[in-house]
Amino acid sequence: MPRPQEVNRSQVLIIGLVLLALMLPWLPFGASTNYILRVLTTAVLYMILALGLNIVPGFTGLLDLGYVGFYGIGAYTSGLLAIHYDLSLWVILPLAALNGALWGILLGAPTLRLTGDYFAIVTFGFSELVVLVLRNELWLTRGPMGLPGISPPSIFGHPLTRDWEFFYLIVFLLAVVFVVVRRMEDSRLGRAWFAIREDEIAAQCCGVNLIRYKVTAFAISASIGAMGGAFYAKWFKFIHPDMFKFWESILILCLIVFGGMGSIWGTMLGALILIPLTEILRAVLPQSLFSARYLIYGLILVLMMRWRPEGLIPFESAQAEKAKQTQKRLTGLVGKE
Amino acid sequence: MESLFEQSSLFLQQLVNGITLGGVYALIAVGYTMVYGVIQLINFAHGEIYMLGAFLAYTMVTVLGLPFFAAFALTLVICAVFGILLDLIAYRPLRNAPRLAALITAIGMSIFLQNLALMIWGSQIKSYPREVLPPVFSKAAWTFGEVSLSWLQVFILSVTVVFMILLHLIIHKTRIGTAMRAVSQDKTTSALMGIGVNRVISFTFAIGSAMGGMAGILVGLYYNAIFPTMGYIAGIKAFAAAVLGGIGSVPGAMLGGGVLGIAEVIGAGYISSEYRDGISYAVMIAVILFKPSGLIGRQIGEKV
Repeated sequence: MPRPQEVNRSQVLIIGLVLLALMLPWLPFGASTNYILRVLTTAVLYMILALGLNIVPGFTGLLDLGYVGFYGIGAYTSGLLAIHYDLSLWVILPLAALNGALWGILLGAPTLRLTGDYFAIVTFGFSELVVLVLRNELWLTRGPMGLPGISPPSIFGHPLTRDWEFFYLIVFLLAVVFVVVRRMEDSRLGRAWFAIREDEIAAQCCGVNLIRYKVTAFAISASIGAMGGAFYAKWFKFIHPDMFKFWESILILCLIVFGGMGSIWGTMLGALILIPLTEILRAVLPQSLFSARYLIYGLILVLMMRWRPEGLIPFESAQAEKAKQTQKRLTGLVGKE
Repeated sequence: MESLFEQSSLFLQQLVNGITLGGVYALIAVGYTMVYGVIQLINFAHGEIYMLGAFLAYTMVTVLGLPFFAAFALTLVICAVFGILLDLIAYRPLRNAPRLAALITAIGMSIFLQNLALMIWGSQIKSYPREVLPPVFSKAAWTFGEVSLSWLQVFILSVTVVFMILLHLIIHKTRIGTAMRAVSQDKTTSALMGIGVNRVISFTFAIGSAMGGMAGILVGLYYNAIFPTMGYIAGIKAFAAAVLGGIGSVPGAMLGGGVLGIAEVIGAGYISSEYRDGISYAVMIAVILFKPSGLIGRQIGEKV
């Protein structure tokens, strides 16, 4: 029997958040409304990216340091398709996701056989190679000149220009990604990932095909990252190789470590706290100190691992809650007999 | 005939530069490989110790006005202490935590130290002032036609060789070296045999960090440029060298450093200078994929 009050609580939370997001552009913030919307659009974009990265270290337990490579691949796929073929965003998004997944499989299939440490290093090398290629293949990417003049996305022939339109668009994308990731978490796929994370050898003994599930995780993570990149290119209308450096991977890793690795709500909360915080720092600190902001991210990584490795919203407690419920149901059944 | 001679002398010059660079990579790689040998952790912050070495020596010769060789020696000591502290503060509390946690901590420390240096010394490229260096460094030690070897290169190569031999002697001829080899094989059993495992790990960090800091000074001299992000690329290249030689193996790190240094210089000269850094990454990825045990490393099987 489902317990109606439990289901309602999380549904109420989701509906409340969606309503809040929809109302946000119309709240009386005065002249700073557009600024707040831009910051929040960035935050929601990073929530999507964090949800995507979370699948690899959070669900499957492998450290992926090359996530930003897929973000960059998605952004350039989107930018180049928009400039050369003038495709619509709704064609570009799936194509970028597909391209990300393709590279995810190409990189993952041979490297996921390695142990965790080597995998981390190879993904790092991959993201560096992506930046080198973006910078040096001038015929394709215009290299350090960047790609300017990407057309804005349009919906039913109406081009998006205003900040609240982009905000709605990214909230919609987040909703889609959230539903997909949430459904995967509770599926056969998710259970296999968790089994791999907890104990690879035990999972293998239970018949989990390690390589297949790891590559699937990596490809899905890559496609979400690429989709985020595709949105970013269409939103910012200019992309440059330096936007996709290793630092971004660290930032996204920091978001999920801070929020709670493996926990969907945690990773989203991490992005929602740290990204606006970064913007506040950008406004408050002088330029020279702001460029050293990664000091804080590095410190967060170290301190979280030392004192609270499960993050703000731990994944474990959700699992434990579920186990307790099952326990209750079982004892209830026994009681009836 | 003339052009062939010119070509071969250019090649020889590249080879000489490559070997010098390779020696420095080997010095850094030794730190990675020794730490990996004893605690199976990729110490991402090692590249930052290399960077700190360069900056500490710079500060000592410019601000404190110490003579170059005194600064050189003092930097080695400070870097060694720093390595011990790094292990004590960041890694030791996580010794029994999942490997993912230790790896994330290592990356966090690396990012933290890099940005700390950025705050202290600024992002501008600095160089060792010529007047504080021994004047002989900029003179050519040996020239043959177009090929020349500067005294600085001789200094770098001889320091590298001397310290490599010293390291070999420490590992194979001393009590602490024997203990290191024991710990790298089996920590629990070593502890049961009366080896102070934590003391051995601290010693490993000290040696590795001293060599890393020294490499920082040498590269700072060689390229005449030090900057806070120098440890990031050099660290990865040295890690590539360690992997190439076989991680956990000290002679492997030396061999890997040499091969990588030559491959990089020759590759940049003859294939593509834009992809200079890419060559190391590509070599590293290829080795990890096709021969993860490296050139002379031992096969590491996973224990159940």
